[in-house]
Amino acid sequence: MSELITPLNDKAERTRVSRKRESRRRLVWRNFDTYLLLVPGLLLLLLFKYVPMYGVVIAFQDYNIFDGISASEWVGLEQFRKLMHSSEFMQVFANTLLISIYKIVLLFPIPILIALLLNEIRFTAFKRTVQTIIYMPHFLSWVIISGLFMTILSPSDGFVNSVIQWFGGEPIKFFMDNSVFRSVVVFTAGWKEIGWNAIIFIAALASIEQEQYEAASIDGASRLRQMWHISLPGLLPTIILMLILRLGIVLDAGTEQILTMYNPTVYESGDVIGTYVYRTGLGKMDYSFSTAVGLFNSVVGFILVVSGNWFSKRVLKRGIW
Amino acid sequence: MHIHKRTFGDWVLDIFVYGFMIVLGLITLLPVIYVFSKSVSSDWALVSGRVNLLPVGFQIDTLVNVVTSHAFSRAFVISVIVTSVGTLLSILVTAITAYPLSKRHLPGISFIMVMFIFTMLFNGGLIPNYLLIRELHLINSLWSLILPAMISVFNMLVIKSYYEGLPEALEESARIDGARSYTILFRIILPLSMPVLATIALFYAVGFWNDYFSPMLYINDPALKTLQLHLRDVVMENDTANAINKSADDLMNMSPESIRAATVVASTVPILLVYPFLQKYFIKGVLIGSVKG
Repeated sequence: MSELITPLNDKAERTRVSRKRESRRRLVWRNFDTYLLLVPGLLLLLLFKYVPMYGVVIAFQDYNIFDGISASEWVGLEQFRKLMHSSEFMQVFANTLLISIYKIVLLFPIPILIALLLNEIRFTAFKRTVQTIIYMPHFLSWVIISGLFMTILSPSDGFVNSVIQWFGGEPIKFFMDNSVFRSVVVFTAGWKEIGWNAIIFIAALASIEQEQYEAASIDGASRLRQMWHISLPGLLPTIILMLILRLGIVLDAGTEQILTMYNPTVYESGDVIGTYVYRTGLGKMDYSFSTAVGLFNSVVGFILVVSGNWFSKRVLKRGIW
Repeated sequence: MHIHKRTFGDWVLDIFVYGFMIVLGLITLLPVIYVFSKSVSSDWALVSGRVNLLPVGFQIDTLVNVVTSHAFSRAFVISVIVTSVGTLLSILVTAITAYPLSKRHLPGISFIMVMFIFTMLFNGGLIPNYLLIRELHLINSLWSLILPAMISVFNMLVIKSYYEGLPEALEESARIDGARSYTILFRIILPLSMPVLATIALFYAVGFWNDYFSPMLYINDPALKTLQLHLRDVVMENDTANAINKSADDLMNMSPESIRAATVVASTVPILLVYPFLQKYFIKGVLIGSVKG
C-alpha cells in the first residue's frame, strides 16, 4: 500500500509501479475462479478457529451467559491474578510439567531404539509382524485403551495384580493411588505410541546409503559399531527436530488420555492443565477463569513452538514451516 | 559375494534384538488378549478369578448380548453416520481448499496460508469453542462433531504438497483450452491425487471414529451418543446396566466386569478389521507429512 502514499516524482517510476499494480489486479481477476474455491474452507476456518480466538476476551471479563460477551463486566487481569494465587492451579501446573517431562525422558528415546534394532533384523517376515503389532495401539481410542488397562490392572481380579499376589505382594490400586497414577499415565501413553513414533526414524534410517555399511563392514567394523557410527549419526537431525517438536507441546500432558483415566482420588497427582480447564469451565461453569487458564496454556505453547522452530531453523537449517 | 562371518558379538546382538522385539510385541498384545479372554470366559470362571490369559469356559453370550443391546447398536449407528458424513465432507472441503493454496504465485495466497498455519499454533481453547457451539445451537446436534473438525490444517498441507508435486503441463494445456479452475480440479487434479486423498480420508475417518472428547462436550442426549461416548459411560461410570440387551435373567448372569470387557472388545473389533488398510495408508501419510508438511 505504501506506493499509494509516497509521492512519486519520477514519471517512469510511477508508470512502472502502476503497471505492476495493474498486473497484480489482472492476475487476481483472471484467477477469480481459483480464489472462489477458497470460500468454503475459509468460512470454516474463520467460524471455528478465529471466532473462538476472539472468544478468549472473556478471560478479561467476569463472563456470564445471560449478558454474553458484549454486556459482561470487564475485570482486566483479575482472572490471571486469581490464577497466579491459586494453589490448586500451581499443583495442576506442577503435575502437567512432571507428567510431560516423564513422558519425554522415558518415552522419547524408545522409538529411536526400536528403529535402530528393527534395522538389524534381516528376517523380513518377523520384522513385518513386529511392526504390524506395535503400530496397532495407535489406532485405538483413549477410551478403549482405558478400558483395556482398567481391566488388566483391576485391583480385584486384574491380571497384573494376580501376578503381584502370586509373588506374595499386596494388590495395587493403580487408578486410585497417587503414588502410581502418574506411572500408569506414562506407561499407557508409551503403550499407545512408541511403536508408531518409530516410523519416522525407520524411514530416516532407510534413507542412509547402504554403501556406508558395506564399507564399514569391509573395514571390519562390528554391527554394534556400525549402529553407533553410521545409523545413529544418520538419525541425529531427525532426532533433534522431533525433540524440538515434542518440547513445543510440553504443556499438553495428555488431556484426552487423562480425562478417561482419572477420578477425584488422583486429582492430586494426575490433574493437569487441560483436565482442570475442563472441570472448572464445564463442571463449575467458571467460564472466565477457565478461559484464562486455557489462554495461559495457549500463549506459552505458542511461544515454545515458535522459538523451537526458530532454533531448529538456525541450528539444523530445517524447520516445521 | 562377500559373506560376512558371524562373530560372537553378532550372535549376542541378534539375541538381544529378537528378544527385545518379542517382549515388546507381547507387552503390546497382552492387554488386548486379556480383555478378549475375559469377554468370552464364563461368568463363574471370572468370579472365581480363574481367567488368567486364556479364556476359561468359552461362551459368546455376553458379547452377543452387548452388541445387540439397544444402547450399543444405536451408538454404533450414530458413529457410522458421523464418521461417513464427516469424512466425506472433510475430504471434499480439504481437497478443494488445498488447490488455491498450492498456487503460491497468486496475490494474497501466502497471507491466507499464514492464516491457516497460525491456527495450528494458537487456538481459542476449550471454553470459547464450547460457547461458540452453543451460540450456534449445535449442542445435541451431530453437526457439532463434524463441522469444527472439517478442516485439519495438517491434512490440508499434506494434500497441498502433493498437488505441488504434480506436473504443471497437465494443467496448462487445460487452461489454454479455456477450462475453469473447478473443472481442472475435479477432472484432472483430484483423479491424479487419489493415493493421497485415500490416505487423508482414512486420517479423518479414524479421527471421527475415535473422538470421544467432542461428543462428551456437545452431546448429552442419550439418543445421540456415539460409540466412544457409550463406551466411556461403561468404562468410566460403570454404567453397565444399559450396556446389555436387558432382561432380568441376563443381568443376573453377567457380572459388570464381563459386560465391560465385552463392550471394550466389541468396540475394538471394527478398528482391528480395517487395520490392515489403515497401516498401509497411514504410514504413507505420515511420511509425506514429515517430509514436506
